[in-house]
Amino acid sequence: MTLLPAIRYRFMKDIGAPAAMRFAKMGKKRPARPPDPLFAPPLAATRRLKELISRHYFLSRYTRGAMPVAWVTSGAPVEILRPFGYYTLYPENHSALCGAQKVGGRMCAHAEEHGYSPDLCSYARIDLGHALTGNTPVGRLPRPDLLFASNNICQTVLYWYKILAARYGIPLILFDTPYRFADAEGGPDLEYMVGQMEAIIQQLEGISGRRFDREAFSRTIDLAKETSLLWGRVLATMKARPAPMTIFDAFAHMLPIVSLRGLESARGYYRLLLEELEERAERGVGAIREERKRLMWDNIAIWPRMREHANLFASHGMAFVTATYTNAWAETTPLLDPGRPLESLAKAYSCVILNHHLEHRLKLMERLIREYRVDGLVIHSARSCKPYSVGQYDIKRLLLERLSIPSVVIEADIADERAYAEEQTRTRLEAFFEALEEE
Amino acid sequence: MHRPDVSVENTLRSSEAFAAPNRKDYIQTQKASHGRKIFGVFPGHYPRELLWAFDILPVEIWDPPIETSRADAHLQSYICPVAKRGLELILDSRARGLDGVLFPHLCDTLQNLASLTAHYLQPDLPVYFFYTPKSTCPAPSWKYYIQQTRGLAERLAERFGPLDPAQWAARSAQALELDRALEALYALRAGGRLVCSNAAFYSFIRQAEYLHPDDFLPRIERFRAVCEGKATGGKRVLLSGILPNPPETLEALDDLGVRVADDDLLDAGRRIPAHAPRSADPWERAAERFFALPPCSTGSSPLKARLERLAAMVRSASAGGVIFWTVKFCEPEAFDLPELRSGLKRLGIPSLVIESALDEGLTGQTATRLEAFLEMLP
Ligand code: SF4
Ligand code: SF4
Repeated sequence: MTLLPAIRYRFMKDIGAPAAMRFAKMGKKRPARPPDPLFAPPLAATRRLKELISRHYFLSRYTRGAMPVAWVTSGAPVEILRPFGYYTLYPENHSALCGAQKVGGRMCAHAEEHGYSPDLCSYARIDLGHALTGNTPVGRLPRPDLLFASNNICQTVLYWYKILAARYGIPLILFDTPYRFADAEGGPDLEYMVGQMEAIIQQLEGISGRRFDREAFSRTIDLAKETSLLWGRVLATMKARPAPMTIFDAFAHMLPIVSLRGLESARGYYRLLLEELEERAERGVGAIREERKRLMWDNIAIWPRMREHANLFASHGMAFVTATYTNAWAETTPLLDPGRPLESLAKAYSCVILNHHLEHRLKLMERLIREYRVDGLVIHSARSCKPYSVGQYDIKRLLLERLSIPSVVIEADIADERAYAEEQTRTRLEAFFEALEEE
Repeated sequence: MHRPDVSVENTLRSSEAFAAPNRKDYIQTQKASHGRKIFGVFPGHYPRELLWAFDILPVEIWDPPIETSRADAHLQSYICPVAKRGLELILDSRARGLDGVLFPHLCDTLQNLASLTAHYLQPDLPVYFFYTPKSTCPAPSWKYYIQQTRGLAERLAERFGPLDPAQWAARSAQALELDRALEALYALRAGGRLVCSNAAFYSFIRQAEYLHPDDFLPRIERFRAVCEGKATGGKRVLLSGILPNPPETLEALDDLGVRVADDDLLDAGRRIPAHAPRSADPWERAAERFFALPPCSTGSSPLKARLERLAAMVRSASAGGVIFWTVKFCEPEAFDLPELRSGLKRLGIPSLVIESALDEGLTGQTATRLEAFLEMLP
């Protein structure tokens, strides 16, 4: 870290960013919108969320020379990086933003022009499109100094990050989490993961030239745990009938738990959000004006279609009250224990839904269905994501057999808007709505 | 132009000593005359020698000649045909004769397929899972590999009785012998001292997927004795990718007078360790073997290492270019391709990609692309 960039960063953090946010807010002042007949008034916390994320991306531009930058996968134990002062960015998060703005297809096409197959995960293609062309329509990501990945979500991130490591000529650290084919706790898997953590800490000390601060590490774990618990409570507010928010809201509000985990700003944010949601639930304010059926979503969002889907489902009185995807950040992180940091980190990160056998996933879904009083399930079969999608057909069948839960499969993609068959999806969903109404 | 030696080809074709035995018949004989147990093994790296030591015959499932119909009810259209066909086989009545199935951990698709098979589709079939470490930290990986191998041994022992240390040592030694024999065969080919056709070579090599080493080792010796000779003329190429399917592509190369000089196929050359283990302890040796395997798209070895190896192979085998032979929807290989191809291009090595659906044969379009590519090779 050199002095001038550090001062510049500090200035932007304390003065520049707040001013820029204020300025942006002024510029965006629009006349109040008439109330939406389908939805409750937007959550006040959403504005804070936008600020938080914009600020995070905005400040990332001033990191050069001031602090090291790590690109991290959404399921990596980022807590280990925090004491080393890395500025962390999540390419998956950035790809989802591109998807939501319907520019994912364009970014994917850049990667495809360079030989990347259209069959690959679109988060990866968008990111590679960005790495190859140098810019993105949703801002600019600073060049990474380090890549930090965990295959607890998929092996895909390993293949993808190997390319980044080769392109940028920087180190890649993989935290390898053996796939949990059986339920056995501890044993060699845990020993292996803890051993890796120790080796990773040593490696980071070598790379950064800094001693690992164990106290700061424990504090980070504490913070991450509390934030996850808050996120879990945020999601649990949707148990109320009517639910004060839907999964479409939660998809947006999960950004801090994914990208800012272990930071004070994320904890503060969820306190705010929780307060608002609890208050809504108490007053009986539902996210959609008429909640007739309660649904569960499986797999990652279809980012480019979020708004259309939110409107479509709301217009049929269908409220999404739970999702395996949003639940993933509340499911295991509470296992974190500042008293046994490495071991608990290994447990928490390796037990996530995508790293677990399908029977575990099914049981989890059964629990969510019961707890959230779900009437039907929408399964997004996402071309991008093999670990999420392989097994979904059987899960659908088994949930019908075991809990009589009807479901529909929609074949689409997470961020590449080109892989979406409008007519076909609509027809399927309409038929599903009809079947649910008849129940 | 290179033409395979006709008399060699005739010998290979006519003699039972070389032709691939029918799998079904072979499995029956193994059961009947040796009392061996039979395991279906999905693609990936696993300690074969451990299965041999339990007197289990691993029969690998890469591209069974089987139409997928039932598997389509369980797997989406965007899942690779290796997984689909494997699942079809598992759902088929033929799987009933298996004493177990082993899923080495290879990719996202196979990890879920293992669970799908074990938990929902064939709960009565014993399914074993073997996780291969991918960590970028060598020390914990080493220890973990040994623990995994021991863990697999314990699980096998529960069903098949205790592991005999003498058998374990012997089969471990035999695995090394097999590596060395294959390595020697590959070296002969790379050095232009093997005269058989490409089709005959791979038909022979792929017998390793299911022959017991007691049978395969002497076959290698005989194969070598018949095929060793000075190969003349012909353009030389290197193969990389997953597996040599459809075989018609190999025949097309033969017809065009092109010689495969070496390969980095996951199913073939990429399974031969770069150097022989030194340890006397079979557990340690299994780990040494695994960590000496060539860089692979499915693991954490840097792309640079794979590129350097490919380039070195091209040079040492005097190949004019590389044909990447991948499987449709195979993520690990598809991710590596652009970097590898541009890296090779920078080194002046041309390359071509053939994507196989495993059941299409050689399409006219692929044949044309192949011909055009070969024409531009030196
Ligand atoms: S979408 Fe699926 S395959 Fe792609 S990075 Fe996320 S978990 Fe991995
Ligand atoms: S072909 Fe590729 S995707 Fe299919 S099982 Fe093999 S490694 Fe996995």
